[in-house]
Amino acid sequence: MIYIETGSADVCYNFGAEYYFTVEKPLEDTVFLFWRTTPTLMVGRYQNVLEEVDRAYAAAHGIRIVRRMSGGGTIYTDPGGWQFTFIEDAREEDIQFQRYIAPVTGALAELGVEASFNGRNDLTVGGKKISGNAQYRLGGRVVHHGSLLFDTDLEQMAAATTVDRYKIQSKSIPSVRERVTNIAWHLPAPMDAEAFKAKIVEHILGPEGTVYVITPEDGRRIRELGEERFASWESTYGQGPAFNIERVGRFSGGTMRFRLEVKRGVIRQAAVSGDFFATLDGEAFGNALAGCRYERDAVRAALEALGADGTVYRVSAEEMAKAIVD
Amino acid sequence: MEKQLAMPRLRPEMTSGVLCAWLKEEGDTVEAGEPLYEVETDKVVNQIEATASGVLKKQLWEEGDQVAPGDPVAILETE
Repeated sequence: MIYIETGSADVCYNFGAEYYFTVEKPLEDTVFLFWRTTPTLMVGRYQNVLEEVDRAYAAAHGIRIVRRMSGGGTIYTDPGGWQFTFIEDAREEDIQFQRYIAPVTGALAELGVEASFNGRNDLTVGGKKISGNAQYRLGGRVVHHGSLLFDTDLEQMAAATTVDRYKIQSKSIPSVRERVTNIAWHLPAPMDAEAFKAKIVEHILGPEGTVYVITPEDGRRIRELGEERFASWESTYGQGPAFNIERVGRFSGGTMRFRLEVKRGVIRQAAVSGDFFATLDGEAFGNALAGCRYERDAVRAALEALGADGTVYRVSAEEMAKAIVD
Repeated sequence: MEKQLAMPRLRPEMTSGVLCAWLKEEGDTVEAGEPLYEVETDKVVNQIEATASGVLKKQLWEEGDQVAPGDPVAILETE
């Protein structure tokens, strides 16, 4: 086992490090990372951000939204929680979770916390979730990562993941809501987050474990990977499932109903109907919206380019954009 | 010659997986061993590599579809 300290609370840097040691710089033994993040919402590989995350809440509270390469549902992470990662060659075709979770339950037991494994590859204490786990596999390598709720802001977690799903249709994989608890509340003796980390890392690494120190060259490439593969709009929104969404704007000048087909984060088709009065027809609006990112600013720019301001009785392009995208 | 590529069984109890992303489009050239699509099953995302070389003639499923192990996923035009 080789421990690598990423020294960063930037989720994209940490995801970049996972990818780097998986694909670009495989080491000769199992790699183990133990890291944490600034407040972050991580959606699963095939989830729709709009169906999982309260984006307005996230923006107002400085919470980053990123997409993982692994499956499963959305999790909220913050400096009160820890993330662990194991990276190694996939030994067999069979997918295993127990292999990676057993050392973690062992370390928790040593600290006096009895965690059990539920049917969804989560760890629970007293029936409440303390850890979610997921994997991705590529090129004969496996990345297993999991979360540990140590002293996470569970109210913020609930608020950020409570979302009005509007009228969205997609084939996305929805999150499963579970009751959660913090490990710190179950420790027989109080312990701070850093001491907890030190104990877990020591237990998992064992006496035979070694440490690899990230070189400046590694660090540069990891930062690049983090930016390219995880921090971009394309990664968070452009790689999600296709969806159809219906939005209605009720204005003093009438009602506008927008039916949109969004693929790779971009509006592919748009139909506009309603009892509004305009010198442009619905088709003109549809054509203007097709091809633009499903984002408030992009939609407003497309409507302004069409000259929508002033063409609809008592409805501005800004108001329309607000109705179309939160 | 056409060759069908099938969904592998990723774990013994797997009944289906979600084809969550195509990594090649129809008309693209694919080398054996190159990642062709991603499938998610029980919180695990697997990149599935092409088992033959050729041109991707047909994607038999859309992203988001549930596909059972053994089902044909893609048709390659091979030489």
